[in-house]
Amino acid sequence: MTAADLKFGQKAKIDSLDVEHPSSFRLLEYGFTPGEEIELINTPLFKDPIQLSIRGALIAIRKSDAKCINIKLN
Amino acid sequence: MPDKTTIQKTKLISLIGPPNSGKTTIFNYLSGQNYRTVNYPGATVEYSVSDFLKSFNINAKLLDSPGIISLSPKSPDEKVTVDSFFNHPKFGVADLVLLTVDASQLSRHLFLVEQVIRSGYNVIVVLTMCDILNSKGFDISLDKLKSMLGFDAVKLDGRNGDGLDELVNKIKLNHEKSENKKIVKHEFNEKDLMDIFNKTGNIEQEVLFSLNEYVPDVCKANLQLNVISDAKLRNKPDAKTIRYDKVFLHKYWGIIIFILIVSLTFTSIFWLSTPLMDLIDMLFTFLSAQADDLLGKTIFADFISNGLISGSGSVLVFLPQIIILFFILGILEDTGYLARGAMLIDKPLSKIGLNGRSFVPMLSGFACAIPAIMAARTIQNKKERLLTIFIIPLLSCSARLPVYSLLVAFLFPGSPFSSGLVLAAIYLFSIISSVIVSGFVNRFLPKIVNVSDKTSFIMELPAYRVPKFKFVLKNTLDNAGQYLKKAGPVIVIFSTVLWFLTYFPNTNPVIENQENIPQTELEHKINSERISTSYASNLGKVLEPVMRPIGMDWRIGVSLIATFTAREVFVSSLALILKATDSEEDLQQSIINQMNQAKIESTGNKMFTTSTTIGLIVFFVFALQCISTIAIIKKETGGWKIPVIQVLVFTFVAYLFTFLTVNGLRLMGIQ
Repeated sequence: MTAADLKFGQKAKIDSLDVEHPSSFRLLEYGFTPGEEIELINTPLFKDPIQLSIRGALIAIRKSDAKCINIKLN
Repeated sequence: MPDKTTIQKTKLISLIGPPNSGKTTIFNYLSGQNYRTVNYPGATVEYSVSDFLKSFNINAKLLDSPGIISLSPKSPDEKVTVDSFFNHPKFGVADLVLLTVDASQLSRHLFLVEQVIRSGYNVIVVLTMCDILNSKGFDISLDKLKSMLGFDAVKLDGRNGDGLDELVNKIKLNHEKSENKKIVKHEFNEKDLMDIFNKTGNIEQEVLFSLNEYVPDVCKANLQLNVISDAKLRNKPDAKTIRYDKVFLHKYWGIIIFILIVSLTFTSIFWLSTPLMDLIDMLFTFLSAQADDLLGKTIFADFISNGLISGSGSVLVFLPQIIILFFILGILEDTGYLARGAMLIDKPLSKIGLNGRSFVPMLSGFACAIPAIMAARTIQNKKERLLTIFIIPLLSCSARLPVYSLLVAFLFPGSPFSSGLVLAAIYLFSIISSVIVSGFVNRFLPKIVNVSDKTSFIMELPAYRVPKFKFVLKNTLDNAGQYLKKAGPVIVIFSTVLWFLTYFPNTNPVIENQENIPQTELEHKINSERISTSYASNLGKVLEPVMRPIGMDWRIGVSLIATFTAREVFVSSLALILKATDSEEDLQQSIINQMNQAKIESTGNKMFTTSTTIGLIVFFVFALQCISTIAIIKKETGGWKIPVIQVLVFTFVAYLFTFLTVNGLRLMGIQ
């Protein structure tokens, strides 16, 4: 399961990042590291990008980028 | 011989931090808003450099740069920022680095701090947004933070400047004694990043303490029990921001509010700037007339009044719109909404090969393409950046407004309501055509330039804040100054060239039967005789075969050439060529009267008919007639390829669609 599959209001723990994905390095820099908790805060009209919370920050991220975040539901 | 100690290099203090960490605010406080924005030599990224406010008594340069989240750059502006951070082409290496850190996102923002420390820099950490941290029920122990980082730290309240004195003292203490260790530019890999985040996560856990339970001893046990929920609380984003986002990013409300905000921005650009633009216009017309009166009827006088003064006027007349646009954008950015707007529009824009980050440049494009194209630097993906730059000239910039106003007023005389509707329709048409062109070019761009980076959209949404009007205004004026410096000289030079082409070689035309003509009309006859025998008209006559198929003649051709200096020049050059007088009635009405009488010289048919006027509007929608835009695109894309392709494609499309419009309408029986 990846962060792109999260539903409105769902929380999850980051399991790993797909290092093959071109956005993985940048996501790491944004603080998406394994073990951190993320939450899907909002999905606007087109359901993409989605709004995630991580380490006290709110990040807008396209689903295609969120796909590289493997998660475990809490 | 100067004493050796006095020729010591001025110390350099660099200010860096992630976007939205309050960096600009700190810069404004330290510099006393007394800075100037300059371009990095040979590059396009802007930085601000300043002395410290006099009263602080710090003898050093303060250098600001765009926000970065790491020392591994992704976009062109990040690359220049990072490169210059390690070795600034003009100022060298910083002696001290001030790092702004959002205290409510400690582990994320300390990431950059740790990277800078690992590179060997001497740093002071400036903690901002402590009020948000407090509202989450936490505070930060500065002593612990200092000892864990091994560097000094200070809290600063961006809202009122509390903590500024302390920061200034620390800078003084630090920059005098400090010596950097060896500066090393690391290539950080994934493992390094994880390692750094482990450390910053640890620091966060150690230095933050809960406010509610900060009653020594009594709650220690309590705190121990709540360790897990404590971490959860710490990592909760600002509650107020989440509440607002439930509305601003709501499935339906979000989009309604977005449309409202964008249309309000637009309308205020036009409504607020119109009186100011009229004022500037009046001022320059007055100056030009004064110069004429003072200097008499000489070539020199004409050059001053019609070449230089009118030329400068055509630059300044757009200043109000640019100032208002930058101000509104600055306010929206400061509140935190702009990032949300980019997020909301990302999906539709991605369908045509653009990015949510194209939103701000495109919005600016409706005022002026020049700042808009510069704003496209923040787009990381090269293809998306080029595509954004490609379509910006299609968005209806304010220079086209006077042209549209005149042509629409000609089509619907005395009917402001339908004129307004038609004007709105033209804007809609310009948006739709830019969407179509973007979708189309999106397919061809990879063939023109070598671009293969993967598209992505990851953007931090800052906490909502009350905007700081004073700083936004200062920044706006600074941007406006940049516009003047960049666009000004080009426009003035080309106005001079245009003046020359319309004035020579027949500088003193002879008019027959002078006695029977009143003075003003005589002057006018001289002017129009001069222009119809000028180099410009020779040039225009070469264009005659091109103009005929679209129902126009050389006079419009000349006016169209003139528009390359600035599009609104079309109106004044049409006035000159059609021999309209501005002595009695207002100029627009006079031009419209002349347009009604103008006949194509070879056939004797009316030149301005419904079909040719609509055709002209279509031409202006597509054609890239703006020297300044071409110059800035060349600069921003690093070569002539893109601007040349744009000029060719847009001129061809403009001509083709004008031809189709004019002849299509005629086939339908509309002359």
